[in-house]
Amino acid sequence: MITSLPTILAAGKVDALVEKFGLAWPKFFAQVIIFWIVFSILKKYAFGPILGMLEQRRQRIADGEAKLEKITKDAAEAAKNAQALIDKAEADAARLVKEADEASKALQERRQQDAVASANSILAKAREAAELEKEQLMSQLKREFGRMVADATSRVTGKVLNSDDQARLNQETAAQVSA
Amino acid sequence: MLFPIQSASFSPVLANVSSKAAELFAKEGLMAFLTNSTLVALCVLGIVLWFARKATKNMSLIPHKAQNFFEFIIEFLYGQVVNIVGAKQAKLAFPLLGTLFIYILVSNWFGLLPGVGTIGWGESTGFLSVKAAHEPLLRPPTADLNATAGIALSAFLVWLFLTIKEVGVWGFIVHTFGPKGGLKGVMGLIVALVFMFVGVIEIVSIVIRPVTLSIRLFGNIFAGENVLHIMSDMMNSKGPVMSFLGSVALPLPFYFMELLVGLLQAIVFTLLCSVYIQLSTTHDDHGHEEEGDHH
Repeated sequence: MITSLPTILAAGKVDALVEKFGLAWPKFFAQVIIFWIVFSILKKYAFGPILGMLEQRRQRIADGEAKLEKITKDAAEAAKNAQALIDKAEADAARLVKEADEASKALQERRQQDAVASANSILAKAREAAELEKEQLMSQLKREFGRMVADATSRVTGKVLNSDDQARLNQETAAQVSA
Repeated sequence: MLFPIQSASFSPVLANVSSKAAELFAKEGLMAFLTNSTLVALCVLGIVLWFARKATKNMSLIPHKAQNFFEFIIEFLYGQVVNIVGAKQAKLAFPLLGTLFIYILVSNWFGLLPGVGTIGWGESTGFLSVKAAHEPLLRPPTADLNATAGIALSAFLVWLFLTIKEVGVWGFIVHTFGPKGGLKGVMGLIVALVFMFVGVIEIVSIVIRPVTLSIRLFGNIFAGENVLHIMSDMMNSKGPVMSFLGSVALPLPFYFMELLVGLLQAIVFTLLCSVYIQLSTTHDDHGHEEEGDHH
């Protein structure tokens, strides 16, 4: 037999429903109390710590990611700085090499000039020495030649030449030799 | 529209599953509250608290197995609750919604354990044997209308608390009965009357929520119990061997279905409570913006 809900309510069959499904305040409150015990204990001792732990882990992951991002940024910055330092070092090295090259060229030129000057000096000294030696030889030659002329003259003329004669002969002979 | 329901004596038409929980000690007096469903509710309480204790003991950032499993459930539930009620309300509403889901799910699945609903008192057929357990020792709490009504009423009270805390008594009245749309003049008056009527309907629907929640849950789990009993008893008249084989094989597919129904009912109950909280705690920002524009 099928009856409508309002009809049941109107006919006072709520009591029948209550009886049929065993609805009773003590049983109802017992179930409510059990549910509230589960609710209270889970809320305080399970959901709180678990959600706290999840939040802590989430925070830790976020911190880790932030640190990773910072480390990546720092690494990029360090790489950039290192590259800048390398570039600067390369530029300095190139400049130093260039300066050293220029210095070595200048030194080489100076040394060359010194060597040329030294050679010229040696040559000049050698020339002077040769000239001096030549002059000495010439004067020795003149003297010897004068003596030989005087000796020859004295032998030819049989005259003993005095010092003036000898000086005059030497002078003339030297003039002849020089010419 | 009238709602046709089974009337007359409301006798069980499907199986020998009583529509009410059986008292274990006394039908009257102080111990009358201790029914087979109350006993299972206490068992469920013990199981849930034991596991919660196991999961939250010696917690660490690198979780142990129980902690990991419990965290997985809580994180999943919390994510779903946040999606429905928002991050602010989720912090307040989650303890209720999480408890509802876990308690209902464990209760529903507890009813599928061997012996629940089948071990008890009945017409004796021999030593330690009864024809049918008319008063079983154990009955899932969600197959007892007292328990589902208690859970639904508890959820209703928490809903009321969260709603009043969020929008206030006046805010709730305005939210329910207040006209929307910002119309003025005669049209505004007509709309206000319409919204007043809608508010009355809304109040009726709010009041009836615990009833619908509790009957839906009770009906599904009680029906599941009946299905399993019918399937188990179907071959009883075919001899002891066929009866044994039938009682094992025939209900087996329905156990899987009941596992799904148990989960589904826990989800439905929790989801509906979440939606109720979301509906009543959402501020009518659009209306305020419109009012702001007028100013």
